[in-house]
Amino acid sequence: MRTILVLVRKDFTTFFRNKAAVSLTFIVPFALIWIFGGVFGINRKDTGPSGIPLAVVNASDNPAAAKLLAALQAEPAFKVITTTTAADKSSRSLREEDLAPLMRDNKFRFALVIPADVVSEQEFGLHLKIYSNPRNEIETQMVNGILQKTIFANVPQLLGQSLLARGRAFIGPDRQNSFNRGLADNIARSFGGSADEILKDLESGNFGFGEREGSSAGANAAGESLFTQAVHIESVQVAGQDVTSPAATRIVGGWAMQFLLFALSGAATALFYERDHGIFHRILAGPVGRSQILWSKFLFGVSVGVLQLTVLFVGGRMLYGIDVENHIGMLLLMCVFAASACTAFGMLIASLTSSPEAASGLATFVILVMCAVGGAWFPVTFMPEFFQQLSKLTLVYWAMEGFAQVLWANASFVELLPTLGILGGIALAVMGIAVWRFNRGNIFG
Amino acid sequence: MLSLENITKRYGALTALDGVSLRIEAGEFFGLLGPNGAGKSTLMSLVAGLRAPDAGGLTLNGHPLTADDPSARLALGLVPQHIALYPKLSAEQNLRVFGQLYGLGGATLRERIDEGLEAMQLADRRRDKVQTFSGGMQRRLNIIASLLHRPKLLLCDEPTVGVDPQSRNAIFEFLERLNREGLTVIYSTHYMEEATRLCSRIGIIDHGKIHALGTLDELLLKLPFEEEIRFPADGGTAALVAQLGAQGTVEKTEDSYRFRPHAGVKLSQFYTLTESLGLPARLFTSQRPTLEALFLHLTGRTLRE
Repeated sequence: MRTILVLVRKDFTTFFRNKAAVSLTFIVPFALIWIFGGVFGINRKDTGPSGIPLAVVNASDNPAAAKLLAALQAEPAFKVITTTTAADKSSRSLREEDLAPLMRDNKFRFALVIPADVVSEQEFGLHLKIYSNPRNEIETQMVNGILQKTIFANVPQLLGQSLLARGRAFIGPDRQNSFNRGLADNIARSFGGSADEILKDLESGNFGFGEREGSSAGANAAGESLFTQAVHIESVQVAGQDVTSPAATRIVGGWAMQFLLFALSGAATALFYERDHGIFHRILAGPVGRSQILWSKFLFGVSVGVLQLTVLFVGGRMLYGIDVENHIGMLLLMCVFAASACTAFGMLIASLTSSPEAASGLATFVILVMCAVGGAWFPVTFMPEFFQQLSKLTLVYWAMEGFAQVLWANASFVELLPTLGILGGIALAVMGIAVWRFNRGNIFG
Repeated sequence: MLSLENITKRYGALTALDGVSLRIEAGEFFGLLGPNGAGKSTLMSLVAGLRAPDAGGLTLNGHPLTADDPSARLALGLVPQHIALYPKLSAEQNLRVFGQLYGLGGATLRERIDEGLEAMQLADRRRDKVQTFSGGMQRRLNIIASLLHRPKLLLCDEPTVGVDPQSRNAIFEFLERLNREGLTVIYSTHYMEEATRLCSRIGIIDHGKIHALGTLDELLLKLPFEEEIRFPADGGTAALVAQLGAQGTVEKTEDSYRFRPHAGVKLSQFYTLTESLGLPARLFTSQRPTLEALFLHLTGRTLRE
């Protein structure tokens, strides 16, 4: 027993002398649960999505349409966009023809059009149009659900107007007015109230469909069924219509990034092998600079990363039918830039740490955080606003964005260029820091 | 050839080199002898440009040697203390990588690889992975890799650690031959036998300071005695030891005594005493003092401490 205790004491002593191990044990778990808690919205009163950009084109002058717009603006899940910036930098109201190009530019992925004929005399019911770019399945279903809930909670008045319009079409405006007058008088006589006020309600279409308690958030099943039949929502998919394997295409970017990050951070720790076996001594005693060692590792890492991604996409093609062959050029570009950013990240980890164990621990922590915050596991739009902004600082977010642009939206080189620029910028900035650290730090252990 | 002027290097509170000045001429086989932690490797790393000194300067053939200028190090070759090779690559592949880093290629590199492998008796293992080599073979290859670019000055940082006697001899003979052909060698070691055998001049270093510098003969003259006599430690010699105090110092080392006469004491006095005690002459071995004795004399501790 004494022997075991001696060995245990030795393990504790070495453990507490290893700063990386101590921080991984005591500090990192706190940091992780704080970040994951934030990402998944734990302890928030409303754990649903927030701030999802939703464009609304209101072409109707119907006051009830304005009320629907106001309700959407009040819905925390959405950040309603009603204007766009013209070429001359002036701001103007969105038009329906603006939507598809802006959605292809990924300014927003969902839009609602309230057309001028939202209420028509030709048919009973409402006519609405939803544009979507369903790049993320979970996000799309969630947005559609919230959008329909908000519409149904606010359509009763519009439905009333629809009934009146249809009535007018059948019996003419004079007989309609006479019918409404008679109905208002009868209601006032039978149930009390002012006949004039009741008439005003009837003429505005307010038949009291939506006035029961709790209707705004939870219309009952019968009501919803009625509304579902009465509200004609036309769906327009702006991008990804031709994607052969939508489910796999949506998630392959996330897979690629997680795979690449873990593989390349492992490769970066190879630097420690060379340091610990005196190879740095031999190489640096010759006409070789420190930064050349790091750049050589970077180029190696990028090459291996591109090869790994190629294998991944070929596998995705064979197993799930992801359309790789029609995007080879753009996909290869994305692979190069994503691998560059990931490799640079691996080099930074290696230059900041003093042992392979510390590098591996730090890499695991940062990879988990970047994947969670960057949207590899969970739609970014479901996160609190702070994390949504934070996600844009992660290379995972931009790499996934790029892969989706290529595979989902069939983006051209020019359309892809901003994302490539951001990934390239991340790679250069991170490598710059890594080289600076590597040139000045103690790389001989 | 190489000049170090008042070099100081610190690692935090530890002063690894403390105002070291040294000149090494072309063609020398210079030994740096000291125990572990004496500052040998730090000195080597400064000369190799791996680290920069905190104070002082280094020049090679009159040109400053700095950590920031890799081109100045083309004339240097470093044999690191570690076996700095890629174990998964073959001997030939390793040599090709390191040769190419120095801009070598084609027939020149091929010839130099062949020469090196032949000289170190590794030609028949050229295509084998280094991880399959014995420690001695890896050490030999470690040296070849440092010589491909034909440096003028070779820095050997304890190149025989953990080497079998056969490989050690091969290494010694190879380095001696290169030195005869004009290569300047700086050889750090904590084995006095190596320094004694190989080095034309030796610097004794401890606690970051050079304590003595010179040829073996010059260094040994610094000792207050010219010979030391060893004899067995047993009951028969106990009476002799009791009477030697006035003539010199006696130290017990394991199962023998080592007698070092004071200056001016003649060996004939010692042998007269042994005869008077009836001790046969065959018990006594007279020998020249070693660098170990000098190190002890200069620093108060042994090379193994």
